[in-house]
Amino acid sequence: MTDADGAIYVYGVIAGSDRTDIESAGVGSSDTPVRRVASDGVAALVSDIPRGPLAAARDLRAHWRVLEEAAAETTVLPVQFGTVMESEEAVRDSLLAPNAERLEALLDALADKVQLTVKGFYDEEQLLREIVNEAPAVARMRERTQRLPEAASYYDRIRLGELVSAEVDRRRARDAELVLGRLEPLAAAAKAEPVTGKDGAFAAAFLVPRQGIDDFSRAVKGLADELSDRIRIRYVGPLPPYSFADDEAVGAGTWA
Amino acid sequence: MAVASASSGYMQRPSSGYLQRPGGGTLADVVDIILDKGLVIDAYVRVSLIGIEILTIDARIVIASVDTYLRFAEAVNRLDLKASDEAQGLPELMESVTSGAARSKTRGALEGVKEKLTGGDDEREETPSRTRRRSRSRKDEDE
Repeated sequence: MTDADGAIYVYGVIAGSDRTDIESAGVGSSDTPVRRVASDGVAALVSDIPRGPLAAARDLRAHWRVLEEAAAETTVLPVQFGTVMESEEAVRDSLLAPNAERLEALLDALADKVQLTVKGFYDEEQLLREIVNEAPAVARMRERTQRLPEAASYYDRIRLGELVSAEVDRRRARDAELVLGRLEPLAAAAKAEPVTGKDGAFAAAFLVPRQGIDDFSRAVKGLADELSDRIRIRYVGPLPPYSFADDEAVGAGTWA
Repeated sequence: MAVASASSGYMQRPSSGYLQRPGGGTLADVVDIILDKGLVIDAYVRVSLIGIEILTIDARIVIASVDTYLRFAEAVNRLDLKASDEAQGLPELMESVTSGAARSKTRGALEGVKEKLTGGDDEREETPSRTRRRSRSRKDEDE
């Protein structure tokens, strides 16, 4: 399959004994087959990657679907999106063989566990009202800037924005702490992640044993109800363990 | 619950109906969840990383600038606190409270990127089995 011009896209790593077949198309085009390349007791899910530019969104979805399908059947260690290696030989000799022991250990640690991602979002207007009502310094600076003409209040408005921004950050930290404190005990591992977007309140990924999904979901539901007047929660999963596979780069074995 | 059992159960919607199917995630979800995550293969061993730059623009809107402060100030100043007292407890679904220049600039850039991303995604169509899944994610994306 490997020709001199081609390259190999790598989706993830599974156990070498694992015969999972992937039907989803790989990145590049709608009929790219995904196959396995095995060495030393571990295997990589890969596909040939065509020359020419790729459509980022389409390929991101393809990467996602391949790993979702794999995770439905087995334990898969997701490889970072966009990883391309030179050839099947390179996958075997530089990725699998020199790192087999470590990859197997990671696969063992992730066996029968899924990732569940919980994100919270504020309604911005409501959040800002809360801040004006609860932070006297913000309320004072707000009145001051409202009295002044726009041109005269430039620095005061920046100061007001800074105060508001700090209050937003404080609420984010507080809400993240609340959520992690409540959900972390139900998970094998938890990772706080950076919030995205201006209305993001918190984001965290949890590694949860399959048999614990129900309990975890109930806890998330409880939190969502409890916070519903301030925060909208988005709860996505089960996912392949994207956030729990990246402790250190794997290389050609010189220091791994 | 079906999800807790292996293989096929994984693909089913959990009985609670609360957990969102990953396949139904919006593009923003997909970007958030997988970008910069997963096993990293050392740069000396891999050939390249594709498609990262364009997605990074969408995923990393850093909020820490004078523009941001001014936008916050404007948003706070526009709040109608009297109305808020009356409306307290009612969930409000206003899309936005600001329309400043800084914000519209940001928005324009963002939408441009989004459009590009979505455009790329729509090029793919495809086998019958996937069409079913796609239509489901479309529905979720519309929410």
